[in-house]
Amino acid sequence: MPADTTPQGDRAVLLLRLAGPLQSWGDRSAFNRRDTTPQPTKSGVVGLLAAAAGRPREADLTDLVGLRLGVRVDQPGTLLRDYHTVSDYRGLPLPQAGVNAKGVQKPTSPSKHTHVTHRYYLQDAVFLVAVEGPAELVTALGEAVTRPAFPLALGRRSCTPTQPLSLGVRRGTPLETALAEEPWQANEPTRKAHERQAKRGQAPRRTDRVDLAASFDDPHGDDTCRDVPLSFDPRRRGFGTRKVRHAWLSVPTGLRAALPTEPPADGGHDPFALLGW
Amino acid sequence: MPSRPRLYIDVHILQTVPPANLNRDDNGSPKEAYFGGKRRSRVSSQAWKRATRLHFAERYEPQDLGTRTKRIAGKLAERLAARAGAALSAEDAQRVAGALLKPMGIAAGKKAGDTAYLLFYGRRQLEGIVDLVAADAAELAALDDQQLEERVKNLPVREQLQQGHPVDVALFGRMVADIPGLNVDAATQVAHALSTHATELEFDYYTAVDDETGDEETGAGMIGTIGFNSATLYRYATVGLHQLTDNLGEEKTAVEAVDLFVDSFARSMPTGYGNSFAHRTRPSLVAVVVRTDQPVNLVSAYENAVPAGDGILAESARRLAAEYRTATSQWGDEPLHTAICHTLDAASPETAALAEAFGANRTFAELREGLRTALTERTATR
Repeated sequence: MPADTTPQGDRAVLLLRLAGPLQSWGDRSAFNRRDTTPQPTKSGVVGLLAAAAGRPREADLTDLVGLRLGVRVDQPGTLLRDYHTVSDYRGLPLPQAGVNAKGVQKPTSPSKHTHVTHRYYLQDAVFLVAVEGPAELVTALGEAVTRPAFPLALGRRSCTPTQPLSLGVRRGTPLETALAEEPWQANEPTRKAHERQAKRGQAPRRTDRVDLAASFDDPHGDDTCRDVPLSFDPRRRGFGTRKVRHAWLSVPTGLRAALPTEPPADGGHDPFALLGW
Repeated sequence: MPSRPRLYIDVHILQTVPPANLNRDDNGSPKEAYFGGKRRSRVSSQAWKRATRLHFAERYEPQDLGTRTKRIAGKLAERLAARAGAALSAEDAQRVAGALLKPMGIAAGKKAGDTAYLLFYGRRQLEGIVDLVAADAAELAALDDQQLEERVKNLPVREQLQQGHPVDVALFGRMVADIPGLNVDAATQVAHALSTHATELEFDYYTAVDDETGDEETGAGMIGTIGFNSATLYRYATVGLHQLTDNLGEEKTAVEAVDLFVDSFARSMPTGYGNSFAHRTRPSLVAVVVRTDQPVNLVSAYENAVPAGDGILAESARRLAAEYRTATSQWGDEPLHTAICHTLDAASPETAALAEAFGANRTFAELREGLRTALTERTATR
């Protein structure tokens, strides 16, 4: 296990429940096609924390980027494609991308009034996100999230979070443990479906626990994500990379164990769980 | 860090829409989303923001919400003095500010109205002008009036101000990819409207008759389908008064802008297929909550879809009240001000539940008046 996962007295973990009808976590998209990754990105989470703390776009992000990120997929949601057209509400032609000598955008010629874009969202998804770092910073961020300076969003402005957003700060608990111990955050319909399946003897086999996919910042991880923001200043946008490790966490559901808890005949081994089936 | 105390105005609306297609996708069908495992009708935030902006444009003269040019000079002098510190006395700051604005014919004290494009100005625009001269402040102050005018004549002050922020830019933001200096971060956040209940997409099959065909020709002139659904929508938006004040540069104007937003957000409606469905309704419920902590979207009240049956609206209203009360008691929230306007039967249990959560039912005009008063009082006490 890498050195930075060991709990130290001055480190803490902030747990955030990212849930809302729509979320959208773009990592590489620009212009007319705005994708979403299946999980919150580091730039999205850092952006949310920076907005909560009231940092202007030009502000230094070093301390926030230095936080260790862990994401647990409590309810993966599904992909929604949104067809979106843009026009000027005054009926004026859309401006050109370039500017004239005075720095003013000229109208398109021949005039173009509608611009088509595709935006992708995750619908009906719930994530548990943990950020680990110096206790003082993490505690301040936890406070900021409950009294944000700017309205917070789940990756895109129109994706308002539902409450509760902050599940509080855990001290002296490593990030992995904090994520594994926090009860399942899925919504009522998903929990009922889980209970039904377990009772019918289908996978999942237990009502009181559920296996959830998770990923962690880890210098020894085998996956690379290019979503580390260097700056949110529109003139100096840029992204760095981070190493990520994927894992499964067995998480308490908060539901009663309706079935005998002794392992089934095959020892509980379910190779298909890894595929999310 | 913004220095202003945080103040959010949450707007919750329940609105029933008859068969309609307010906001369609590239197949021509109404937009949808899954929530709580059920298919819901959706109207994108962008669609409703556009309707809100059109509503502003129809009903309000930009001048109605303007700030006076005199104040621009004053504000500019204030900022200049703050930035230059000891290097610039208050009088000198005013003199420099006056000289900066003079080439555009807006010297301090001149009548308002000459400079329509300046009626809305933003904090960043003023900072931009201060940027132009901050480094040389002491040097400028030492010059006499004529030299000073000569010196600042060619500075790009006009460019800084020409792109004055109208209220819709202050509320909804502006993005100009090539000129980041003109970007404005929105003070409002509008969520996609979702139905409180499950909806199915329906199709209206129609034929159009050709009036001029002879007897030998039968059949329709054309046939087609229009996708539609009907829904009771939950609409949510929040406005950060502190940020709006920063964008507009003045608190009084920001309070007016909030009022304008609440009015236009409540009354506006996307016009998609309006002539086919005549879907123009008004909200059945509008609630406003003023908070100093965080905006709270109550859409979780509908994560379990409201069952179809007797009264989707009444049940949606009951759940909204319950969700709000749970949120309040669970999180110890103490909103600064709440008000509600709804059309439910006064004797119904839902009305009692709503009154307990948001206060007594008022008219929409009273709700706006109360909100304005609460915000003005709040800003005046600081």
